[in-house]
Amino acid sequence: MSEPDEPEDLEVAALQRLLDDAFETTRPRPGFEDELWTRMQATRPAGSRLRDAWLGLVQAIREAPAVPMAAVAAVLVVVIGAGALVYSGIGRGGAGSTATSGAAFGSEPFALSSPGAFGRLPAPGLARGNTDRPTTAAPQSATAGAAYTGPVALKWTGTLNLTISTAPVFRYHEPTTNTADQFATSLGAVLVSRPAGYLGSYQTTNYSVRVRGTVQSPAREPSYNILPISSTDIIDTAGGPADLALVFLGERSLAPTWQLTPEVVVSGDVAKVTLDRQFGVTGYGYAYLVDDSGARYGVEVDLQGNRPTSATGPMPLNLESAPYSIISADAAVQSVLASSPVPASGTPTATLTSAELVYSLVVAGDHSFYEPSFLFSGTYTVNGTTYVKRVLVPAVDPTQRSS
Amino acid sequence: MVADRPPFEDLYRAYLGRIYAYVRAQVGSPSDAEDITAQVFMNAYQAYARFEARNTTPAAWLFRIARNATLDHFRAHGRRERLRRTIEHQPVAEEDPSGVAEERIQYRALMARVAQLPERQRDAIALRHSGLSFEEVGALLKCTEDAAKMLYHRAVKALREVVEKEAV
Repeated sequence: MSEPDEPEDLEVAALQRLLDDAFETTRPRPGFEDELWTRMQATRPAGSRLRDAWLGLVQAIREAPAVPMAAVAAVLVVVIGAGALVYSGIGRGGAGSTATSGAAFGSEPFALSSPGAFGRLPAPGLARGNTDRPTTAAPQSATAGAAYTGPVALKWTGTLNLTISTAPVFRYHEPTTNTADQFATSLGAVLVSRPAGYLGSYQTTNYSVRVRGTVQSPAREPSYNILPISSTDIIDTAGGPADLALVFLGERSLAPTWQLTPEVVVSGDVAKVTLDRQFGVTGYGYAYLVDDSGARYGVEVDLQGNRPTSATGPMPLNLESAPYSIISADAAVQSVLASSPVPASGTPTATLTSAELVYSLVVAGDHSFYEPSFLFSGTYTVNGTTYVKRVLVPAVDPTQRSS
Repeated sequence: MVADRPPFEDLYRAYLGRIYAYVRAQVGSPSDAEDITAQVFMNAYQAYARFEARNTTPAAWLFRIARNATLDHFRAHGRRERLRRTIEHQPVAEEDPSGVAEERIQYRALMARVAQLPERQRDAIALRHSGLSFEEVGALLKCTEDAAKMLYHRAVKALREVVEKEAV
């Protein structure tokens, strides 16, 4: 900082330089900056965070120079990602920025590739038997009612407006044990063993961490599971379960860097927080990540009071993206109706009333993909019980799919 | 957002380290310094809507909050506790025996000695070496710029004497 003011002697001058250096190099431990920022963000109402994300997006678009459309599209994808950071409570200080401080793991921004750069894509494995759940039970609840597995005819009465003709496809490389070890190290955990089916089992002073690679069926991306968490590990912050979950994750540099929507299920002093993952799609907005039954998912944090008891989420991995042509809204509707069985006597008919763009994981060996699909939803009734019907239709143009 | 008021996050990123160092020089213990620093920025975050840049600089505003938070900490924990923690956190060679870390140990020792100075001297050194001008130091310590300079020089001399005494 400073040269000494009127130094009386060399010793004083030397001491002042030493003080300059001491103050210059005295800094909090790595990770503290982002943890604190996350805690501060968690004290804000969600609406306020969403507003900031939106303002950031608008501002970024205003500031974008006139460039060719392809470049604009590329910028918008990045901007949407940046907006997602803000809403996720991380802001510039989230895992995206901790990458620069070396405190975070695997959170590089999307690398953009040219259209169709990943070649022909594997088709999502969406065709399965019927397993529709009654509407009276929570869709992801363990106590959901019995599923209906019989044939269901489909009828479409909704409106699907779509103004985009391309959507990004995201790809990640399958992590190795070395990648998992690095991830665990970033949490402060040390390797204990490599159980079958896992990349590694790790331990910190407060909890154990298991990391596994991609699961083929049902398809799941590489993930971590943290448990049991020490009974003394209580989150001391204001806010609801979703804020507690974000703080807990943020303190471990695990706060999602992607756009999220929290879902909370509370039962007594126990709460399950699900941070549903979303992908930004230029010209469309955000599209949820869904499993092969069409249910949204992301990070799950279980809480008992203010104490997290377990957390499961996708391992942070670098994603590449490339735009792909997608089918039109009309083609999507035709496709879903074509999947309807020929109505027979007694076959219930589901009335599909809504449709949205979503993403689903397609497992493909060394690389796996998040591919866009259309999720059609509606209900039907059998023996007085109303069931939810979800149908997924791959969105990527068939000419760009391998099957 | 007022035009002459930077986004809070810019302030946060720019000053977090400096505020932490300032607090650390006061309390000696890294865990206390983190707690107080967190409190400083939580308070500042809540109050930022009322911050008016024409009245003060962001640095002076943040350091005022930090100084108050540190004084609150001492009031709550007492001077005896502060001294105990300061002594407890005196760096020792075993903390990090590598030759590369020698400088860091020396800096930690120096910060611990700053923490043992009388309150105003400690404040003068910590504020000055956290990047504030003498004018800003004087405003925070409620004295003139010249008085702040004198206080600072006396503090550095006192620190030198402590260092020399401990070196003997």
